[in-house]
Amino acid sequence: MNGSSGVAVKVSGVVKRFGTHTALDTVSLTAEAGEFLVLLGPSGSGKSTLLRVLAGIERADEGRVMLGDTLVAEGNLHVPPEKRGLGMVFQDYALWPHLTVADNVAYPLRRKRSGGDVAEKAGGALEKVGLSGYGKRYPGELSGGEQQRVALARALVGRPSLLLFDEPLSNLDADLRERLRVEISTLARESGATVVYITHDQSEAFALADMIGVLERGRLVQFDRPETVYLSPADPFVARFTGLAADLPGVVVRLDGEFAVLDGCGRRVRARSMGGLAAGDAARLLVRPAATRIVRGGDEPAEPGDGVVDGVVDGVVPGTIVDVAYRGRGYDHVVTISDGVLTGVFDERAWPRGSAVRVVLDPQGCIATGDVTNVM
Amino acid sequence: MTATDHSAPVPVRTVPSTVESTVDGTGRRRFSWRRPAATSLTRLAWSLAVLAVVLVMLAPVLGFLLVAISPRAFGQGDAWFTLAPLASALSGSTLQALLNTAITGVCAAVIATAIGTALALLFGRTQVPLAGFWRLALWALLLAPSYLEALGWTRLAERDGVLAALSGTDITWLRQLVMGPAGVVWVLASRGVPFAFLAVSGVVRGLGRDYEDAARVHGAGRWSRLRITIGMLAPGLWSALAIVFAEAISDYGVGATLAAGANFPIATYALAGAVTNFPADYPGAAAIGWLLMVLVLFALLAQRMATRGRSYAVLSGRSRPCRPVPLRGGRRVLALGALCVFFLLALGVPAFGTVSASLLGNFGSADASSFTLQAYQQVFERSDLLGPVLLSLRLALITATIAVAAGALIARVLARGARARRGGAASLLDLLMLGAVALPAIVLGAGYIFTYNLPAVTALGIQLYGTLTLLVIGLLAGALPQASRLLMGSFAQVQDSLPAAARVHGAGAARAWGTTILPLLSGSLLWAWLLTFADRLLELPLASMLYPPGQEPLAVAVTTLIAGYDFAGGTAVLVVACLGILAVIGAALVLFRLLAPAGWRRWEQR
Repeated sequence: MNGSSGVAVKVSGVVKRFGTHTALDTVSLTAEAGEFLVLLGPSGSGKSTLLRVLAGIERADEGRVMLGDTLVAEGNLHVPPEKRGLGMVFQDYALWPHLTVADNVAYPLRRKRSGGDVAEKAGGALEKVGLSGYGKRYPGELSGGEQQRVALARALVGRPSLLLFDEPLSNLDADLRERLRVEISTLARESGATVVYITHDQSEAFALADMIGVLERGRLVQFDRPETVYLSPADPFVARFTGLAADLPGVVVRLDGEFAVLDGCGRRVRARSMGGLAAGDAARLLVRPAATRIVRGGDEPAEPGDGVVDGVVDGVVPGTIVDVAYRGRGYDHVVTISDGVLTGVFDERAWPRGSAVRVVLDPQGCIATGDVTNVM
Repeated sequence: MTATDHSAPVPVRTVPSTVESTVDGTGRRRFSWRRPAATSLTRLAWSLAVLAVVLVMLAPVLGFLLVAISPRAFGQGDAWFTLAPLASALSGSTLQALLNTAITGVCAAVIATAIGTALALLFGRTQVPLAGFWRLALWALLLAPSYLEALGWTRLAERDGVLAALSGTDITWLRQLVMGPAGVVWVLASRGVPFAFLAVSGVVRGLGRDYEDAARVHGAGRWSRLRITIGMLAPGLWSALAIVFAEAISDYGVGATLAAGANFPIATYALAGAVTNFPADYPGAAAIGWLLMVLVLFALLAQRMATRGRSYAVLSGRSRPCRPVPLRGGRRVLALGALCVFFLLALGVPAFGTVSASLLGNFGSADASSFTLQAYQQVFERSDLLGPVLLSLRLALITATIAVAAGALIARVLARGARARRGGAASLLDLLMLGAVALPAIVLGAGYIFTYNLPAVTALGIQLYGTLTLLVIGLLAGALPQASRLLMGSFAQVQDSLPAAARVHGAGAARAWGTTILPLLSGSLLWAWLLTFADRLLELPLASMLYPPGQEPLAVAVTTLIAGYDFAGGTAVLVVACLGILAVIGAALVLFRLLAPAGWRRWEQR
């Protein structure tokens, strides 16, 4: 395979069971050629299984997988991994400990008999990841970050049309994670391959993805652009998994286009409606951290018209600071309010613990959903 | 002391240890637990005790080995220094015996490693039907002494053996195959399979599946994958080869039974002969001992050289554990068939040979209707048959208990030494243990006979020669290295912080050990005891060299009975002893399950 260009990935109705446990429940998705797709979900959500089905390491029980125009899995048809033109970075890197770094990287070239100078190509791949001169060492002699880079070079060297990443950064410390994330993003996009990347870290997902697929208990619950996933999560699970400042009870007062007006936190609040709501329903108010802003001390009188202009809707919630954490750019506050707690409320100045404040909630970052309290 | 802001601070005085922070060679800060300095006297006493034990156990062997090059120093000849015994050991029939030993050792090692690796991959990677049963069979194979397997095959295939008695015809080709090099190699190899299996399956378990998946994803077909896997198994394969080779060439049971009957001399038997014949040729025996040990060392060195300079460090904890795949259709049939054939040849046939021989009367009563339980009745009636069983039972109980207790101490020192990467005592102890593992039991026994029989030693008032005490010391010296090796792995896994945490929170040294380490290791200790017990009960080489007159241990009684054509009696004693061992193992496991607190059993090993 010499194509430096990616293939489209088409997964339709894939089911995978392990005994009685259904790891993947009718999952369908499509990635365009060259797209960077991130599968996001908590552990046990099936994202790893989906990746392994794409790789051909696991066989799907039902459904079909197409890579470009080639059908690779359907019914009894199962194209083995070695025939799929893949590169993959494993969570534990899976560098063969008895082979040198150079031999590890050259392995895909030797298998594909791609011709040319194998050693030169492997050296080039190592240089790309900043490890030229490491070829004669053994994986056991490298640090975690270096091992990760070798794994990346091995995945890239064969110019695969589909690159798979299985939580590649989860074993690294924060600083290294950020640097390697950038390298993966650049090198993978540069290679032109289609990328499927799995992670349980939402910030990693938002930073990398062209498209995000969120998985929950084997089901693909949302498949969209990152911005859409953040602003219009398909369900409370996606909203909660992609980061909330608060998850509060409320009652729907009325609906107003794509918004719902709720009675909650002792105030009236406007929020994007997830649908399925009617006046009088019990609801949950989900608040994104970015939608919160501290305006001023709670002992000062509220000015009329503060918060959101709507006449009835206030959107300004009184509360008390219980914790403050320095974050470099400013401070994250934890604020108790009448019905619960707001976390990650950002302000550039620090509010002392115990001080009374008011928090403005931006309706664009608030989500109203039916009160089903069984998720997560 | 930290934790002073605790609501109930620990009074410093009740904590007998201090946390020391040291900076090791790598510049990293390390915390370790040290006893207060006031115990240097205790330490001296300990050192002296250890020294005494080493002197009693290993010094005799050193003396025996020295007699090979300096016979006059021990009153065994004229020369203060000579290489003549070595030269004569390297010529004529002893050279033949050594060559036979080396060749059968290599063959057994290769066969056992191949089978052991196949089994390790089969059990580690696939869902074998009846896996529990096969594992039990492997343990049985590990516990069965080589002379038992050799006797089983011999009784089956001999001219007046079981097959001849049952079929009425003499199966010549089978007899010639069994009673020759092929038989010797097979018995040694099949005995080695459990060792090879254990050595390789540890590595297989640690590998996980990702390495193979990585190969597949990057384009490897079936054979490339197998090559990658075998490459990563190399450390396990080399240690399997070395262990099986060392075990095979140290083996005495086959030499004393099958090989002796087949006129296929091997070195251990020649060595024992040189010591026990009259007049005893100690320098000659010692020379053979040297050469045997050189062979063992050669194997260990080869293993070192093969794996040195390459780091096989596998990133533990991160690997995706290997989910065994089910076997279907042809593969299932193939795997089951291969397992059946192997265990039939390694265990089934010898067991059948032994049991059926015990049920047939002596002198090959020619038809199957003559099956009788008479021999078993005699075991419980004749004191010369039951006596050895009871004696060996006593010996095994004593030696297993002491060996496991002392082995635990040694394992603890070794494990701590390995963790602290400290030189000195721990590494010396490690070396001693390695040496003791490499020391064939027959050399140990010969050393004891020689040294404790020296006029100079008896003049010192050490009257151990010909006593049960000496036999117990010998059995202990043989069991200690294995027991400590068995426990070493478990001790290495226990974090220092566990007993440390107990002590910080107010427990004394003994209580801390009893409440943290003992529960975690109770399963391992029990298994180590059971294995040592079974092994010592059936032990042959030391028993045959050191037993006091009139007090024959089990293995000696069995071989003597068989040599005296009392096949039914000999095999019946053996069967009774094996059933006894199974009963003890079963009872111990049941008791452990019933009596040990639930938390202890969570850590129980297979």
